[in-house]
Amino acid sequence: METVVDKDVLKSSGAELLPDGRRGLRIHDWEIETLRGTILTSLAVEEWEKKLKTSHLPEMVFGENALVLKHLGSNTKIHFNAFDALAGWKQEGLPPVEVPAAAQWKFRSKPSQQVILDYDYTFTTPYCGSEVVEKDKETVEAKANPKGEATLQWENCEDQIDLAALSLKEPILFYDEVVLYEDELADNGVSLLTVKVRVMPSSWFLLLRFWLRVDGVLMRLRETRMHYRFGEDEAPTVLRENCWREATFQSLSAKGYPVDLAVWSDPSSISQRLPVIKHTTQKLKIPSKV
Amino acid sequence: MPSNGDLDRQIEQLMECKPLSEADVRTLCDQARAILVEEYNVQPVKCPVTVCGDIHGQFYDLIELFRIGGNAPDTNYLFMGDYVDRGYYSVETVSLLVALKVRYRDRLTILRGNHESRQITQVYGFYDECLRKYGNANVWKYFTDLFDYLPLTALIESQVFCLHGGLSPSLDTLDNIRSLDRIQEVPHEGPMCDLLWSDPDDRCGWGISPRGAGYTFGQDIAAQFNHNNGLSLISRAHQLVMEGFNWCQDKNVVTVFSAPNYCYRCGNMAAILEIGENMEQNFLQFDPAPRQVEPDTTRKTPDYFL
Repeated sequence: METVVDKDVLKSSGAELLPDGRRGLRIHDWEIETLRGTILTSLAVEEWEKKLKTSHLPEMVFGENALVLKHLGSNTKIHFNAFDALAGWKQEGLPPVEVPAAAQWKFRSKPSQQVILDYDYTFTTPYCGSEVVEKDKETVEAKANPKGEATLQWENCEDQIDLAALSLKEPILFYDEVVLYEDELADNGVSLLTVKVRVMPSSWFLLLRFWLRVDGVLMRLRETRMHYRFGEDEAPTVLRENCWREATFQSLSAKGYPVDLAVWSDPSSISQRLPVIKHTTQKLKIPSKV
Repeated sequence: MPSNGDLDRQIEQLMECKPLSEADVRTLCDQARAILVEEYNVQPVKCPVTVCGDIHGQFYDLIELFRIGGNAPDTNYLFMGDYVDRGYYSVETVSLLVALKVRYRDRLTILRGNHESRQITQVYGFYDECLRKYGNANVWKYFTDLFDYLPLTALIESQVFCLHGGLSPSLDTLDNIRSLDRIQEVPHEGPMCDLLWSDPDDRCGWGISPRGAGYTFGQDIAAQFNHNNGLSLISRAHQLVMEGFNWCQDKNVVTVFSAPNYCYRCGNMAAILEIGENMEQNFLQFDPAPRQVEPDTTRKTPDYFL
């Protein structure tokens, strides 16, 4: 949901809201927008399953939901969507995680009639966003023609996202959060991929979060943060941090943490308790004008 | 014992989304138990009847369902479980359905869903809602004790078999289901668990869920079950579908889901299945109730997340 922002604050920041009821704004050569729709129709589910070569998708896939950040001068587009995230899930293809009830499970079907399904039902994805350079405006809609798009390279770096600067209570000109997909794991926990963004007069910042809790078994948090400061026109650079955390309920219990599920419902408040298993920082140089 | 007049007053109160007193819930559950204990694991139901799927505490959408499908008892209803959890009004929703059952026992059939269980309701909302609305867990206990008595399946005119989840490799016939001892908490494993949890799948045969627990059944299984038991259709709920209903397995199985805009954000339609006097089938789809006083579950206030 977008904020109601004072028009004067927007104006003095050089920002303008997008027209025609779109959610988002233009600021310093960036157009930042969120898109929202319903879960996939049954027909779309079939199409996605075919394209992704799977017969299982999360029960709630918001196929039209997206966060799009376009650098207008260079036609660089950074965006977040469910399809690309699920393509990442399919490619990573982690082995399934057994739920506690599995210990008591008895195979009562005839072996000749039985098939053990082995896809990763947690929909864990390494996805950390999609990016392209669109060669000209016309290719924006022409996704079928990848020739018009050049891929961009993220480079490893030592820089860190300036959390101190982001902690300043600057006015937020635009804020939104969209769900890309979600699954209740047949009431065995939650798998949730969301992305949220905030745009301030000095920068934009976003957080893509994959959150998984398999009740009684494990928690997994894969976060991608991106930060871009306005006004560094000579070498505009997006900074990206990936942080993966993971812990089993068993290991948390061994550390003396409670294993009561109510304690583990909000990933923001418990993330520090989950050990980091992977951390990288990268930057993306926005190409010069085309 | 409260008279029909008392019950009518309670139903009127519940229709306004006002919860009953703890004492009223206790009496209501006692009465409902006396009725449900007499019902069968495969409860026979006559047509015409309107078949409904998951409600999940979306009270105003249940009222919309009655507006679309006709009020009880003018329309006969068969609900296939999952009255509680997820939505904001599990207490009012399940109270209303149970009150209607007690008032019009032959006009309303309420089956058990996998959420009508002590264990699941402690995780997914109903328990917390009872604590919040009554200050203690008594009402949760009255209802979850009652849930043990709910029938597991229903059979419309010996043709349409209705249940929450799906088939079980341990249950080849309706008589197998009739011989189950159902008056208990939903077990973690076994035939009763399968009826409330299993899903149809594109793969043939019995699929073992990658979770290591839970079955899926293929079209071959459903077709064989229908053939063996002289059935024309398995009607089940349990899975969210954008259109509110979804045919699968060569029309051996239909999924009906009756919570529109599930969790107040999926944007899906709800549906109910009308089965007429001559067993003709008609789906009615509906959108969320126009009067949505629930707060949006997505966070509205900008936050300085890091």
